[in-house]
Amino acid sequence: MPNEFDQEIKILVAEVAEVSVDKLDDPNVSFSDLDVDSMKALEIAAAVEKKYKIIIPEGEIPKIKNLAQVIDMVKRLKG
Amino acid sequence: MSRRRAVITGIGVISPNAIGKDKFWQALKEGRSGIKPITVFDPAFLKTKLGGEVSDFKPEEFLGDKGLRNLNRSALLVCSASKLALEDSGLLITEENTDQTGVVTATTLSAVFNIAALGKEMLQDGPGLVNPAMFPGTTINSPSSQISIRHNIKGFNTTISTGYSASLDALKYAVDFINLGRAKAVLVAATEGLTFENYIGFYKIGFLAGLNGEEVSCPFDKRRNGIILAESAAVLVVEEEEYARSRNANIYAEILATESLFDAYRAGKYHPRLEGLRQCMTRAMKAADLHKEDISYISASANSVVQQDKLETEAIKDVLGVYSESVPVSAIKSMVGESVSATGLLQVAAVCGSIKQGFIPPTINYSQKDPACDLDYVPNESRQQRIENVLVNNFGPGGNNAVAIISRY
Repeated sequence: MPNEFDQEIKILVAEVAEVSVDKLDDPNVSFSDLDVDSMKALEIAAAVEKKYKIIIPEGEIPKIKNLAQVIDMVKRLKG
Repeated sequence: MSRRRAVITGIGVISPNAIGKDKFWQALKEGRSGIKPITVFDPAFLKTKLGGEVSDFKPEEFLGDKGLRNLNRSALLVCSASKLALEDSGLLITEENTDQTGVVTATTLSAVFNIAALGKEMLQDGPGLVNPAMFPGTTINSPSSQISIRHNIKGFNTTISTGYSASLDALKYAVDFINLGRAKAVLVAATEGLTFENYIGFYKIGFLAGLNGEEVSCPFDKRRNGIILAESAAVLVVEEEEYARSRNANIYAEILATESLFDAYRAGKYHPRLEGLRQCMTRAMKAADLHKEDISYISASANSVVQQDKLETEAIKDVLGVYSESVPVSAIKSMVGESVSATGLLQVAAVCGSIKQGFIPPTINYSQKDPACDLDYVPNESRQQRIENVLVNNFGPGGNNAVAIISRY
């Protein structure tokens, strides 16, 4: 269920990925379909790390393939 | 083997007094200054407030709205100018010609912004939280790479960062490679963005006008006391002459000669006789097989620095002898300020306008004569004149000198 927290992350990811927010309405849409390459994925990771004061282990970053996984990762690491 | 001739077939200009080649030429003809209060950053606590800032620059208009996020101002300026230049030239980059098309970009200060931004982030947020997307821009070759990427150009890609002479050094690089048969067409680009970090650097070394006098860009004038720092980007499409003709390209001018020499004197200081510049001018005229009287006008590198303008005057008098009394000399930096590695290509773009439209741009803000600078500087108003051959000078403190001769084709 989308809430304010999820929405916040969605907007941040949309900004970094340079896509309109509605393109992420389905949080399972694959990043590769949105032209998010590995460099952009690193940038997304850096942006959420900074905003939520978390550290994403390096090995985990390549596993992030869509918005749902980003949200999940942030919730897990924030506790 | 006879020398392959190099010609200019496309021009893209983004300068403080105009965006676009035609508007640029018009602004020069009208003697319009691009120097204004700085808005790209806040010079709040500084004594000086003016810069040659490009007004109303909207990169999305040239480049679309994707992929711009992590490009710094220098990169955005030069990519936009490259689009203008290619469109102007009508040259289409195809699978057949892409390997024979090169890119060479003059820039020296553009990476400073990214390096500073990363440094700031590391100090404020810790090194683990820096934005990785800022890294590519910390290298000096970043803007040049962007040009090739955007236009799918697969020939050489080189960055030349020789400071004040970089524009003409880049032009020389292109011409030499065309002459060697290594490329048929070259995008010769130049860019410097106006950023706080660059500005504060020039401010602290006391190089800006307004610290010890009037804050004005007035080359050759007695009041001159420093540069007005500026930004700009220019891109020229330079082609091997036969290649240009085979595609019926519009040819603006020919590059008859390019010379480059370094004054090994002291860092940040002018050689007292500007030997390098004198030699470049002499050699360029010899290479172009021109007599002194064949020079229609000199596009000066004078930038409102006391020594620079005086030394350039002396060099011109030494090289041209008596003829120096009648040849017009004008400094467009009076209108567009000093954008270090980029102003040289603005000068060449301006010269193409001079040749095409028969005018010499003025040295504006000229009101008080300095006895040490007593040539015809085309003060304040442009002049109509048929232009054949123009000597273009590029130099600054520190040793780099370059000269080009641009001629009617």
